[in-house]
Amino acid sequence: MMGRIAWKLLPAAPALAILFAWWVYWTIVQPPPSVIPSILDVVRTGAELAFGGRLAGDIVASMGRLLGGVAFGMVTGMIAGFIAGLWRPVADFFNPLVVFFNAISGIVWLPLVIGWLGVGNALATFLIWNTVFFIVFQNTVLGIQLVPEVLEQGVRSLGGGRWETIRSVTLPGALPYILSGVRSGLGFGWRALIAAELVGATTGLGQLIFSGSEYHRADIIIFGALLIGAIAMLMDRWLLAPIERRTVVRWGLVAASRGR
Amino acid sequence: MSADKIVVSGFRHFFQSDSGRVQATGEIDVTIREGEVVTLVGPSGCGKTTLLKAIAGFITPSEGQILCDGKPVRGPGRERGVVFQELAILPWRTVRKNIAHGLEIARVPKAERDRTVERLIGLMSLNGFEDRYPHELSGGMRQRVAVARTWAADPDVILMDEPFAAVDAMTRLTLQEELGRLCATTHKTVFFITHSVEEAVFLGDRVLVMTKRPGTIKATLDVPRHGKGGRDWDSFTGDPEMRAISEQVMHLVHAERV
Amino acid sequence: MRNGCDAMTRHLRDLRVLLPFAVLIAIWWGLKDGFGISDKLLVAPPLVWSAFGTLITRGILAEYASTSLSMIGIATLISFVVGVPLGFAVGTNRYAARALEGFLRYLQGISGIAWLPLAILWFGFTHTTTLAIVIYTLIVPIIFNTMTGVRAIPENYVLALRSLGASRLRIVTDVYFPGALPSIVVGTRLGMGYGWRALIASEMLVRQGGLGDLIFGARTFSQIDRIMVGMIAIGTLYIVVDRLLVQPVESMTLARWGVLRK
Ligand SMILES: Nc1ncnc2c1ncn2[C@@H]1O[C@H](COP(=O)(O)OP(=O)(O)OP(=O)(O)O)[C@@H](O)[C@H]1O
Ligand SMILES: [Mg+2]
Repeated sequence: MMGRIAWKLLPAAPALAILFAWWVYWTIVQPPPSVIPSILDVVRTGAELAFGGRLAGDIVASMGRLLGGVAFGMVTGMIAGFIAGLWRPVADFFNPLVVFFNAISGIVWLPLVIGWLGVGNALATFLIWNTVFFIVFQNTVLGIQLVPEVLEQGVRSLGGGRWETIRSVTLPGALPYILSGVRSGLGFGWRALIAAELVGATTGLGQLIFSGSEYHRADIIIFGALLIGAIAMLMDRWLLAPIERRTVVRWGLVAASRGR
Repeated sequence: MSADKIVVSGFRHFFQSDSGRVQATGEIDVTIREGEVVTLVGPSGCGKTTLLKAIAGFITPSEGQILCDGKPVRGPGRERGVVFQELAILPWRTVRKNIAHGLEIARVPKAERDRTVERLIGLMSLNGFEDRYPHELSGGMRQRVAVARTWAADPDVILMDEPFAAVDAMTRLTLQEELGRLCATTHKTVFFITHSVEEAVFLGDRVLVMTKRPGTIKATLDVPRHGKGGRDWDSFTGDPEMRAISEQVMHLVHAERV
Repeated sequence: MRNGCDAMTRHLRDLRVLLPFAVLIAIWWGLKDGFGISDKLLVAPPLVWSAFGTLITRGILAEYASTSLSMIGIATLISFVVGVPLGFAVGTNRYAARALEGFLRYLQGISGIAWLPLAILWFGFTHTTTLAIVIYTLIVPIIFNTMTGVRAIPENYVLALRSLGASRLRIVTDVYFPGALPSIVVGTRLGMGYGWRALIASEMLVRQGGLGDLIFGARTFSQIDRIMVGMIAIGTLYIVVDRLLVQPVESMTLARWGVLRK
């Protein structure tokens, strides 16, 4: 019984440990609030922002940019990944370009693209697309290459043609990798967005924390960062986990590890 | 005398790997007549799977050629069903959908498809597992699904690579008898690889024995079939002629111990 | 004779790598001239080339690049040494996994850059700030991929070895490590990609040297040629590191275990 409760509470342990350390440090050292605020300050600031402040607008602005950029990056990444995964010469030709542009994907483009698109939604969307595309692309190619050849041979000996093997073997076989690509794509797209908003936007959560640093408000920054993490986690749980549960977990390709 | 279904002549195969060329088989000539069951025994690594995959059309022979119905084999085809040594059923399809896959590909109407699947599920004692996914089955059950999938597609030639190796002894006896009966009644051409001498003699009209790697065909033994098929374990174990052939094959195989 | 032939084909292969870039440069030049795009938005390849010459001869590029490279090197080393053991701990111990998985997943959602404002408040506009952000960014994918690699190993492998009487350490060295290695390498490679990007982003804001500082500073004066030289340097340096250090390891682990098909 005790064991069961302890097991249930275990995921909360790291957060509790940090909160405790924070509280101890704060009561003993009494640092200036602009450097390390008290837990209470952060909670209070959060409530103020949520009820009287700009928070809702910032969240909506960030989410809109994210969804646009990620959706675009996913679709293009998967299509390109399938083409490259299925036709080796295509993969070989584009590989050097993929390697190069992957190396400079995301925020590296900002100084150049800010001159083309200005500050705002288009810039953020471009930077997110640019990040997500390569993750999804590489995962799709890898997933396709890792599907056991014998599964494909089995379908071909049943009389299946190229299209049939793609549909019934390659696509579901590569799905675990594609999904994990989408998953990290969403996560890293979110990162790219925050970076983009930090420099090249006037609204959004990235701007919120940036303003925190300008006014020396560590409470705003910490609240903003924690909120950014929470939103990412909720997206993962509500958008991606259900898809996984219904496909790759059901098929026994991936263990149902993620906390339900 | 029936027609030659599969003719392998002057076959030799080499695999190209980073560390150089690996000879997988010696020179092999095999003829399988229509409706005949040919079994093949040989030591591990002698090239049995290589030969089977070449007949299936997944390997292009380095030397020699393979004919099916007089035409050179150029890739896999629906008329040559394969049961692989590794598990090759699809993890993302239920038992029923796996077995029906070949029929789906051939656009067989659903009613007929369901009938065939139902029959094979009964034959393979998979009742109650129709809607399970492969990872929810035992190893032996998965292999039975693989056999059922190939049978359901109704190919002329069935190529089997140690299909019952992972099946328990009891089920294996039943499956062997079922396969024997099916071969006798449907006149399918069967090429069957096994490690078990008994299984080879029990099922085969002809037993081929291979040498150790790079393997060649060392001996061919005819197994006379009396009555209709004569493939049931009761009569098989009591038959001195069968025992004599088994012993003969055993001697040949033993000489090739690795 | 034979050797000569091999060298020939190798050179031809090297050229094939350059071909897509040649195509790309042609398209870039074509767009620039064809649409008459202003020099404030995009410059033609020769201008980038001459800016490259200037930055090289004055030693500017070398200085900024070496700052960035040493940062990513230190950060990778620290993240690997700390992250891989942590990943094993989380992957093999169900209590550790239970306690840390959710937390790590949560941290992964907070990008390193989101902590940048706080790090600036704490450490000022210094290299420490940048280093902290880059390590934070790098270490999470390493821990995660180590963990997923360990968890993806079929339990049978472990059971088989245990039934041979193998110790826990032996199972780690003979099953977990080789089994998870491809995934660890993939994680490190991904992590380095994102760490590199976090580094550039951080340098843009911290402005204490590094290639991010170079391109962001050039933005202020609309020096598109310098920005593009910086971008190309960022990409090229990353690839050199990736190709010379990371990829040999990756192909060794992936190809060796026969996971990748030819
Ligand atoms: N893809 C491959 N690449 C390189 N060598 C291979 C490949 N496949 C098989 N071989 C080699 O060819 C030889 C014959 O292999 P094959 O799989 O045909 O043996 P087998 O008789 O089926 O053995 P078993 O009874 O163990 O299944 C072996 O020595 C093997 O190492
Ligand atoms: Mg074999």
